[in-house]
Amino acid sequence: MKEILRLEHICYAYEEGRTALSDLSVTLSGGQKVAVLGSNGAGKSTFFLCCNGVLRPNAGRIFLSGREVGGSRSELIRLRQSVGLVFQDADSQLIAGTVAEEISFGPMNLGLSQEEVRRRVDTAVGDLQLQPLYDRAPHDLSGGEKKRVSIADVLAMEPQLLLFDEPASSLDPANTRLLEENLGKLARRELGLVIATHDVDFAWCWADRLLVFRDGGLAADGEPEAIFSDEDLLRSCGLQQPTLFQVGKKLRLSPLPRTVADIPG
Amino acid sequence: MTAAGLLAAAVLGFMFLGRVPFWLLATVCAGAGGALAVLGRHSHEGILPADQLARRSRLQCVSPGLKFWTVLALICLCLCGRSVWCGTALTILAAVLITAVGGVHLHDYLHLLAVPLIFLLLSLLALLWQFGPEAAGVMSFPAFGGFFSVTAAAQLRTELLAARVLGAVSCLYLLSLSTTVSQIIGVLRRARCPDIVAELMYLIYRYIFVLLEMHRTMKDAAGSRMGYRNWRTGLRTTGKIYANLLARSYRQASKNFDAMESRCYEGQICFLESRRPLRTAHALTALAVTAFAAGIALIPG
Repeated sequence: MKEILRLEHICYAYEEGRTALSDLSVTLSGGQKVAVLGSNGAGKSTFFLCCNGVLRPNAGRIFLSGREVGGSRSELIRLRQSVGLVFQDADSQLIAGTVAEEISFGPMNLGLSQEEVRRRVDTAVGDLQLQPLYDRAPHDLSGGEKKRVSIADVLAMEPQLLLFDEPASSLDPANTRLLEENLGKLARRELGLVIATHDVDFAWCWADRLLVFRDGGLAADGEPEAIFSDEDLLRSCGLQQPTLFQVGKKLRLSPLPRTVADIPG
Repeated sequence: MTAAGLLAAAVLGFMFLGRVPFWLLATVCAGAGGALAVLGRHSHEGILPADQLARRSRLQCVSPGLKFWTVLALICLCLCGRSVWCGTALTILAAVLITAVGGVHLHDYLHLLAVPLIFLLLSLLALLWQFGPEAAGVMSFPAFGGFFSVTAAAQLRTELLAARVLGAVSCLYLLSLSTTVSQIIGVLRRARCPDIVAELMYLIYRYIFVLLEMHRTMKDAAGSRMGYRNWRTGLRTTGKIYANLLARSYRQASKNFDAMESRCYEGQICFLESRRPLRTAHALTALAVTAFAAGIALIPG
């Protein structure tokens, strides 16, 4: 898999004595489905903001497609274009008067022509089934619709890596299912997908790699089965085993079921 | 709406007292006031549907630039008109365009019009009545050692002012009930309005709704914990809510700035403008309406 983003020995503190990330090294590649787990305040959101270049690390280096990201504006733009970030609260992200204008904000900032911006907006609108909402105002939309618009916002910038900060935290089951369908579509395009979540069942079902955060550092990085088998790790990070994982273990199934359909009989 | 209806009846009565037969005046006053009170009755909150109504209006397809400049010209003509006819004609024309052509329900329109109307009617009442040492004019009554009177000159002055203000406000409603705020800001931007002003308008418009939502949530939460049990508690709760709103707005602004930066924001807010081409038929209609208003504005008072 092609490497997209590499963080080496990243440290970040919001203020002196309040470290949010310490000596973090991680590599993210295209085509991967990565779930980021950890309790509140473990550093997941700060990690995302550093990956996207909104926060500049106090120490460490960031590489994009093998090339180090410098401190200049053009380098930051290169990073922010390639690594899209979908914020947890959609209202933090939506600023325009209509959905179409909202989605065009990122591409317009890239200095693209009107035709290219229009093409990208139309593509993102089609991908997220937002056609009926095209001319609607963001404040008229439901929570699920706002979330879809916030994903389209980032998709229109055509990133290689997409970061989602707890995307399902305020969605009802129907909208969560729609989100999962959209994530499936994005995964088929070989985009790198990284999702911060507290939902271990979702992480078990969806991810092929887990990053577990604890106190601003990476406590574990590996395959879901190995991580969820490590009970000491889970206990120290305030996590628990997914339901299907426990059921599979109890029934001595191999391989362990990722979905209910995987359970034989 | 009942207040607006009563005020409208009173203002009409004082404005035409002594100039038309009493029975006719009484009928018109009762009819106008009653119609306003009954037709304008609605359950919606004012600020939220206005933008939605604009989005649904059949006049949405007309170029925002054409609507903006035509309305601006009509407002200028209305304010410069020497007789009441220009304002009156534009009030009726705007109402017809908004409701019959645009498709906005009459009660929605009247309900939205009620807020500026109440301000206007209160001002007109103050203009109609004057205080002096002697009784004068068509109607007067003694008070505080002098007389409150309605003079013929005040009636004519008030009549002209009422027509001008009502015409101008109706034209503004014609624009705001057929053109969304983002389209109006787009027009201002093309008219070389400073970027900072247009950007602030965008952000203020968007965040009014975020702030309203935040306020509603906090108010509901306070209400559910008996925060408005009595007047004293309600006052304290309201103060705390506003203080909290300020703190939360500050944090929200910081989050929003992060979100804008994450999408390559570099100091200028730009959006893709929606295409609403200028059609010849629309342009000719706008020209005809403006010429009609200009013709009426020239009628001497």
